[in-house]
Amino acid sequence: MADALTRSMRASHVLAAVLVVAALIFAAVGAAIDDTFYLRLGTEALIFAGLALSVDILLGYTGLLSLGQALYFGLGAYLSALVLMVTPSFWAAMGATLIAAIVVGAIGGFIANRVRGVYFALITFGMAQIVAKIVYNTRALGASDGLIGVPVINVNFGIASISSASPVGFFLFTLAFIVVLYALAAYLLDTPFGRLLIALKANERRVPFLGYSTVTPRLTAYVIAAVIAALSGALYPMLRGFVSPELLFFSTSGNAVITLVTGGVGTLVGALYGGILLTVLKSVVGSYTEHHLIVIGLLFMGAVIFLPRGLMGIVRPAVERWLGGKVVP
Amino acid sequence: MMTAALEYFQFVLAPQMLIGLVLGVAVILVALGLTIIFGLLDVINMSHGEFYALGAFIALALASIGLPFWLLLLLVLLMMLPVGYIVERGLIQRVFHSGERHVTTLLLTFGLGLVMEDAFRLAFGPNPHKPATPIAGAIDVFGVFLPLYRLFLIAGGAVIVALVALVVYRTRLGAMVRAAAFDRHMAASLGVPVQHVYAGAFAFGVALAGLAGVLLAPIYSVFPTMGRDFILMAFTVVIVGGMGSIAGVIVAGLLLTQVQAISSLYISPVWSDPIVFGIMVIMLMVRPQGLFGRLGHG
Repeated sequence: MADALTRSMRASHVLAAVLVVAALIFAAVGAAIDDTFYLRLGTEALIFAGLALSVDILLGYTGLLSLGQALYFGLGAYLSALVLMVTPSFWAAMGATLIAAIVVGAIGGFIANRVRGVYFALITFGMAQIVAKIVYNTRALGASDGLIGVPVINVNFGIASISSASPVGFFLFTLAFIVVLYALAAYLLDTPFGRLLIALKANERRVPFLGYSTVTPRLTAYVIAAVIAALSGALYPMLRGFVSPELLFFSTSGNAVITLVTGGVGTLVGALYGGILLTVLKSVVGSYTEHHLIVIGLLFMGAVIFLPRGLMGIVRPAVERWLGGKVVP
Repeated sequence: MMTAALEYFQFVLAPQMLIGLVLGVAVILVALGLTIIFGLLDVINMSHGEFYALGAFIALALASIGLPFWLLLLLVLLMMLPVGYIVERGLIQRVFHSGERHVTTLLLTFGLGLVMEDAFRLAFGPNPHKPATPIAGAIDVFGVFLPLYRLFLIAGGAVIVALVALVVYRTRLGAMVRAAAFDRHMAASLGVPVQHVYAGAFAFGVALAGLAGVLLAPIYSVFPTMGRDFILMAFTVVIVGGMGSIAGVIVAGLLLTQVQAISSLYISPVWSDPIVFGIMVIMLMVRPQGLFGRLGHG
């Protein structure tokens, strides 16, 4: 007998599948009309959805609000750009990012996990600000200009390869990449380890009474989130050919939180829908006025007040009902 | 040897410390509102920097119709109070009672800040405006050249801080505020109108930020993102001093701005931000409650 969490995650998976089908149709139409702009925009939306996914692991599951996830996103983006400028190999860039994210994530997690609640939000915010300011002032990392001239690469799978210069090819690759990250996160959170994280969110004091350590799972969750953010960030220079210090700024972390809260906290798939929703909204509103922040800010405030569970708070229960079984609100 | 040290102090260290002191007073004014709001409502006001900017923009708009600067100080304070009151009652109270109050109120005020910042850009354009200095001229203090307005700012800021401390610690109103911060249910049952105290404290906090905005506009000019960089420093001061502590804000505000001012003599000023944030992170690690206790406690 599946419990409520398994049922609701099943609904998340259905919604993720719907998203993939829609993205494939979008890619097919884009390829047919030889579009570049919208496919690139869609790819960027998916990359930032990956960042929002990492925020969801912390906020939605462990109950910790990170205001500094841009630290790891930027780490991935800068490292990937540096590696690619030396050797244009996708796997080298990803490997280096993975290792760096684990190491830096462990250090950051050690620092941040010493505190709880609102202090956690502020300490993650502070750490990201330190790194952002240092990068912004380091000439070797391009200072305020960032790194430009990241070469076009071929993602080599042995039997086939995808060029990052191909709009539709790289869109499909990014889609697959983000879906794999989603699946990995969903799998991990369905294991006993994931249940432990949810228990931590519900009541951290009681968890030790069940014989579990609270330190290890919190740190592990933090590192996993760091890795997901960094790997998403590593795709950015492949798409745009440059990285800028803006990727490390608070606006990037803040946008990820907005994306997640509008999409739906604690659903994983909400991060993906939120990323697409916000990108579409930005480009639609942006075509009328340059003041899209007012619209997005109001929408976000509305979501916080009226829809604390975001877009998925309406959609997912409906999908659950459709899949059958009783819905526990 | 003695003269060299004295000259170094007079021409290098003292001017830098005075610049730091001006910034320190300014940061204290902004951080004071932040810490009162946190101490009482348990709310991290992410839009505090935008309220600081709002004060400056209101003053800018009023000055353009020819009102004198001194009247603006009073008018901005009076106009910001109802704005803050309405924001607290209309927005913050809506998510105040949810289980994760810290997160929801932080997110809500973050969104509000975004909207306000873009609204300023819409209304006043993205370029900086620099109001004329209300007090022209400068004097020599121990051989240090000091613009009079900055001197006024230091004195005026000190008076405002003293008044706030006086109200909080020496009046009946302040006792109600401290009682509500300590135990809201007990305070409510003793007849303290907690709802109004909360909204009033929020209004007072953002009005202080607005007042700081007016005072600082002639020095740092007025632009839509003016709150952003300033608020980071204010957050650091609040954390180091102890969230919700008035004494902490004053001590940490003076200390941190001096660290920033003096350190920039020896290392490039671009590194002063990482140093200040480093202090904040270390403080959060070793003593998250800060140097001093929270408002109403201890």
